[in-house]
Parts: sequence; structure tokens; C-alpha cells
Amino acid sequence: MELLTNIGLNHYLTISALLFGFGLFAVMTRKNAIVILMGVELILNAANINFLAFSKFNGGMEGVMFSLFVIVLAAAEAAVGLAIVINIYKIFRSVDVSAIDTMKE
Amino acid sequence: MHSLIQLSIAVLLLPLLSFVILIFFNKRLPRRGDFLGVGILGTTFAISLYIFWSVVVQAYDPAFRVAWDFTWIDLGNVPGVGPLVIKMGIVIDNLTAIMLAMVTLISFLVHLYSTGYMAGDPRYGRFFAYLGIFTFSMLGIVLADNLFAIYIFWELVGLSSYLLIGFYFEKDSAADAQKKAFLANRVGDIGMWLGILILYSQFHTFSYQEIFANLAAGKFGMSEAWLTAAGILLFMGCVGKSAQFPLHVWLPDAMEGPTPVSALIHAATMVAAGVYFVARIFVLLTADALHVIAFIGAFTAFMAATIAITQHDIKRVLAYSTVSQLGYMVLGLGVGAYSAALFHLVTHAFFKACLFLGSGAIIHAMHHEQDMRWMGGLRKHMPWTFATFTLATLALAGLPLTSGFLSKDAILAGAIGFATAEGGGVYWLIPFLGFFSAMMTAFYMGRQIWLVFFGESRTHLKPADDHHHGHDAHAAHGHDLHHEESHGVHEVAWNMRAPLVVLAALSVFAVYSPDPLDGAKGWFMSMVPTPATVVGSSSGDSNHSTAASPAHHTGILLAEAVPAGAHGAETDAQPEGVASEGHGAEAGVHGEAGAHEFSDPRQAAIAHAAHEAHNPAIMISSVMVVLGISLALVVYVFRIIDPDRTAAGIRPLYLFSFNKWYWDEIYQATFIKGSVVLSKVLSWIDTNIVDGAVNGVAVVTKKVAFTSGGFDRYVVDGAVNFTAFFVNTTGALLKKLQTGKVQTYVVMLMLAVIGYFIYYFTQLIS
Repeated sequence: MELLTNIGLNHYLTISALLFGFGLFAVMTRKNAIVILMGVELILNAANINFLAFSKFNGGMEGVMFSLFVIVLAAAEAAVGLAIVINIYKIFRSVDVSAIDTMKE
Repeated sequence: MHSLIQLSIAVLLLPLLSFVILIFFNKRLPRRGDFLGVGILGTTFAISLYIFWSVVVQAYDPAFRVAWDFTWIDLGNVPGVGPLVIKMGIVIDNLTAIMLAMVTLISFLVHLYSTGYMAGDPRYGRFFAYLGIFTFSMLGIVLADNLFAIYIFWELVGLSSYLLIGFYFEKDSAADAQKKAFLANRVGDIGMWLGILILYSQFHTFSYQEIFANLAAGKFGMSEAWLTAAGILLFMGCVGKSAQFPLHVWLPDAMEGPTPVSALIHAATMVAAGVYFVARIFVLLTADALHVIAFIGAFTAFMAATIAITQHDIKRVLAYSTVSQLGYMVLGLGVGAYSAALFHLVTHAFFKACLFLGSGAIIHAMHHEQDMRWMGGLRKHMPWTFATFTLATLALAGLPLTSGFLSKDAILAGAIGFATAEGGGVYWLIPFLGFFSAMMTAFYMGRQIWLVFFGESRTHLKPADDHHHGHDAHAAHGHDLHHEESHGVHEVAWNMRAPLVVLAALSVFAVYSPDPLDGAKGWFMSMVPTPATVVGSSSGDSNHSTAASPAHHTGILLAEAVPAGAHGAETDAQPEGVASEGHGAEAGVHGEAGAHEFSDPRQAAIAHAAHEAHNPAIMISSVMVVLGISLALVVYVFRIIDPDRTAAGIRPLYLFSFNKWYWDEIYQATFIKGSVVLSKVLSWIDTNIVDGAVNGVAVVTKKVAFTSGGFDRYVVDGAVNFTAFFVNTTGALLKKLQTGKVQTYVVMLMLAVIGYFIYYFTQLIS
């Protein structure tokens, strides 16, 4: 029970890894471009957890600063990504990424 | 340029003009342009006659000579040959002037005659064109002043002869005859060319005068055998062109040509070109070469006369008679009777042309019947032809009061003189053969005259299978004969009669000499004296220096020089060196040909002996001629001896003569068969050995090529193709990675990262 009472760095990292795995899974398996963007958000947040966890256990403020930047960047990324998705939809009349394979040629 | 030279250039080129116009435009001209040919030749003859008049009659100088030349080709100094300059030029002396007049006169008469004889021929215009090119070439030979020029015209004459013999080329016999003539001439011409080259190799010039001057100065660098060889080789040209044994076989076959051509080319002019050429080079012939020439001439004269006796074809008799008479001329040159031989050339040209044109008139009137066995009785129907033909026959037989007597007698006197001077023995064979041939000539011409003109017409005797008129057997009856006359034989028109009359008139002695028994008193032999040899006899080499220049050739020793202007413009224009010679007119006119003084002892001895032999020669030849004619009378007129039974009695001899001594068969069996066998052998070598070698090389090359091709295909190409195949396959595999789907890339990225971590950690652990 010590594992549940004594919360250490490993707990944060495990949560972060799980979150990263979900995000990655979503990116790899979903067909909908918007869901994929959501997966990307999960991955970014997994990284944020890592930054914050290391920051807390190291005692500096650098990790906090980094995660704030990441949040800002995530917002920008989401805006750009959604714009791309809208454009893709305009061209292909679909947001299904498996259908968008013109890069193959 | 001397005015005579200018005129002679006109004489030379006018017939060429006639040829060019007629060959291209004869179909567009009225009457196919025959009037043009006749007119041009008439003009040419008029100019030639003027030249003859100026040179022979007005100048009356045995040493007359005008020359002009220009450099035609200058190749500079050719390596291995030396300076190679070919000049062209014209020389006019008495002989040239006489020949010009003779050739153009006969050519003109033959042109005129042909307007009648050839009328209605499909190639009428072309015939006149060919006559033009022939006349041009013949005049070129006459006028040429060097060996190169004479060789060119020599070949041109051969060409025109070829064209005219094969004028009726639809007939196989004519086509064969023209080939035979051309090939036989070619054999002679090769010898002639080699002879020219021998002289050129020594003197680097083709000019007669320069060669003679060099020889006289003793500059011939090789042994005398070479000079003899050069002379005999040059004589080979004459053997071919003048139909001497062993190349005589073409001339009788050449009678396949139209009869006017036979008269012009194969009797009067072209065949005389050989004799003329030997006369031109006479002074460089050594004694040995002259002996060869004399024997060949004597043998030819004899052989042809024996053949002429038995021939049935009227033209063939005349053809063999021509060969025989050419043999006389060659004999005459060989024995040193230079003037006599050339005299005979001219007289023979006229009477033989007359005989041929007469026979043409007969053939024309008989509707192209040439076999004398089916003629007879023509005297009544063709009086003009009969008269002229008979006169020419008497001249040919050599009866006194005719031109032929003068010239033949002079040759025979020369032959006797030669035999005496050479010391008898085998040399007596030459006059003997000459006299014997003279008798046979009289015999076969008597036979011809009788068969053709006397007796009754024998047209009906001709076997029916090739009978022209298709008469029935009862044609023998008088009224049928009359019937035949009315639509058959008749005298020819004026344009064919006139040439006969002119030529017959030129067969009378008075044209040539005031003395009916001695030609040496006439203008011809005075104007064409025997030149002194420039090579000397083998016994006296010292004579080289005395015969300083061939211009000396008259050998007349005259103290007085020519007074300037004494003989008008002609004398003035003579080249220096000739003008300063004694002109010799005095001695030439009043002296006798045989009395010239030669510096060469051999020549002098022969000339002297020939002069001595004049009277015996007259007597013997007259006896021989009378004998021959009497024999003909006995056989054919009085029929004391039956010719057919006699022929049967000496059948082998008769067949020997009738088949022309089997020369054609001998040549067929030796040279022609030999050539065929040789070419078969060569062909075998070619197909089996040469081709075998070539094919072997080909096989080897092919094998090598296959090997190298295989290496190329499998190794080099294999490497290249494998590279391509490898890249292609790899590309095809790798292509599948690029799906275009973002998620695949993400998976790969993930796998790569995982792979990297695995690697990193394994490294870390170890």
C-alpha cells in the first residue's frame, strides 16, 4: 500500500507514459483527422506532466515555464491543425486520413 | 602559224563538225543531213586539194616540211619518269599533203556514193555521222607529228571501224565481226604502245623529229636489240591495223559492214594507216626489224592471194586481195622500197576503192546478192560499172599502162634489189613470193571479172532455198531472162556512178608518171624519196654521225642553198634547219629515186640494186601478170580446164585455200580455246582458293564476333541489366513504404524510435 500512499516521481512518469500511449494510439488508429489532433493534444499534455513532475522534484522553475510555453504552443497548433483540417475537407470533401494518400505518388 | 597549218586544222576539224551535227541532229534535218556530210567533206577535199597543190605542185620540193606544235599536257618532273611533257602538233610534208588529198577525196566520194547506196536505211543519218568521225580520226593520223597523237587517233580509227563494221548490228555475223576486228586491233595496239614506251623511256619525247634526231646522235642508251624490239613492236600496230599475218583474220570479216565502208575504211584508208605509220617511223627501223617486216609482208601477200582464188563472195575476194596488197606495201617498206610502198598505198587506195564501190554497185543492183556463182552477164546491164571495174582490176593485177603496174613494179624491183644486196639465199624468197602473188592476183581478178560480168546470168542456178526472187526452174529460158532484166539488174544512179568514174580515172598511169613503165620518173616517187636511216646498219656504227639530222633524209647532196623566196611563201615558212638544207628539187625532179646517195652502206646498196633491178622486174612482173590472166582465160573463158574438176582433183589444197588456211580454226583452237581454258582455270582458282581464303577469313571473323558478342550480351549487358534490375526491384520494394498515409509514417517513426531505444539499451547494458 506504500505504493499508493507514498506518491513519488515514478507515479507521475507512469501516468505521463500512459497518457502518451493513449495519445499515440489515437494518432495511429483513428481515421478522423480531428480525433488525431486530439491524440496529439494528449501527447503534448503527457510531455507537460513530465516537465512539471521533473520540475517539482528538482526544485527549479524551468519545467513550469516550459509547460506554459507548451500550452501556448498547443493552442496555436490546434488552431493551425484545425485550419488545415478545414482546408483538407474543402479539397477532399472528407476528413478521413486514410483517404488522403496523394503523397503516395 | 603558217597558213597551211591553219588550213590543215580546218581540214582536220570539219569532218568532226560533220560528226557532231549529224550524230545529234540528223533526225531533225531534211534528208537526215546527208547533204551536210557530203557538203562538208566536199569542202574538206577542196581545202586538201589546195594544200596538195601548194605543197606538191607549187613548192615541188622533196624536203618540204612545215611543222607546228603546242604543249598539250605539262606534268613537270614526274618522279621515276622524268620530265613528262606531251605536245600536240601538225606536220605537213609531201607525204602528208598527198595523204590528205587522197583520204578526203575518197571520203568525199564515199559520202556521195552512200547517198545512193544507203538510201532508205533506218540509220541513214547515223551512217554519215560515223563516216565523219572516221575521216576525222584518219586525218588525225595523217597530220600527227608525234607518237602520242598518232596513238590517240589510231584508237579513234579503231573505234569508228568498230562502229561501222557493226552498222547492221542486228545481224549476229556483223556483231561478231566488229568484236573480232576490235580485239585483233587491240592485240596490235598493245605492241605499238609498248614500242612507243621503249622510245619514250630513252628520249622523254614523243615527237618523231626529236626521236630521230636523238637516234641519229646515237643517244639510244640500250642495246641495239632493244631498238629492233621497239621497231617490231611499233610494227605490231601496223600488223593489227593493216591486217598483216598473223592478225589479218579480222579484215575479211569486216566486210559485214556496208560496202561504202568497206571501200573507205577496209580497203583504201584505215588499213593503209598501218603502212603510213611504218613509213613515218621508217628511219628508226633497224636492219633486223626490216627483215621481219619484209618477211611478214611477203608471207601475207602470198597467203592472202592464195585464199582469194577460191572465195565465192565478191567482197571477200576483194578483202583478201586487200590483205595481199597491204602485204605488198609492208614488203616494200621491209625491203627499203619506201617510196614504192607509199606509191602503192596511194594507187591501191584509188583502184581498190573503185573496186569496192563497183562491187557495191553490183550488190545494190543484184538486190544484195554477193555470191559470184549466181552473177554473170552484168556487162550488158551495167556498162559504167563494168568499164570502171575492169580498169581498176587491170590496175590491181598490175597490167602496164595502169597505176598499179608502176607501184607494184617499183616494189618488186626493190625486193629484187634487196635480195641481191643482202646476198641472196633465203632473201630471194621475198621477190619470189611477190611475183607469185602478182600472178595469182591477175588470176583471181580475171576470175572475178569473168564470173561477174561475162557469160550468161546464173541467178536461176542459185539453190531455191535461199533464192531472193523466187524464180521458177524455167527461168533459164530467154524470155524469162528478159523478164528478169526488166525488174532486176540495172545500172546505178549518177551519185553512185560518178565516184566510180573519178576513181577509175585515177588508176591510169598518166596521173602519176609520164612514163607508163617507170614510176620513178613520176612526181610521186620524186616527192616522197626514201629517207636515210638514222640507226645505220649493224656493220657501220660510224654512220650515226654522218646522218646528222633526219631532215637530211633526201640524201641529195646539193651545194646551193635555197634562195630566199624562190619558192614563195611556203619555202619562207619552213623551220630553220630545214630551209637551210638543199631543197633538192633539181635532183628530185630529174634524178631517179634509186639513184639517191645514202650514207648508210646497206641502204645505198639496196637502193642501187633496186635501180638495177628495175628492168628485170618489169619483165618478170609483166610475164607473171600475163600468165595469171591467161590462166584465168583458159579456165573461165575457154573452159579448157574445168575449175570444178580441178578443184576436186586437188581437193585438200582447194579446201586449204577455201577455208582460208584454217587460220580462224587454228585461232579458235589455240588462242580462243586457250583463253577459255585459262579463264576457266582462273575462275576455278577464284572460286576455290581466293574465295576459299576470303570465306575462311569470314568464318573466323564470324566466330570471333559471336564470342565477343556473347561476352558483350551476357557479361557486359548482364552487369548493366542486373544493376537496373536490382535498382528496380529495390525501388519496387521500398515504394511500398511510401503509402501516403500519415498514420503509417507515424507507426514507422514509432518503430524506429523503439528500435533505437532497444539498440541504445543493449549497448548500455553490454
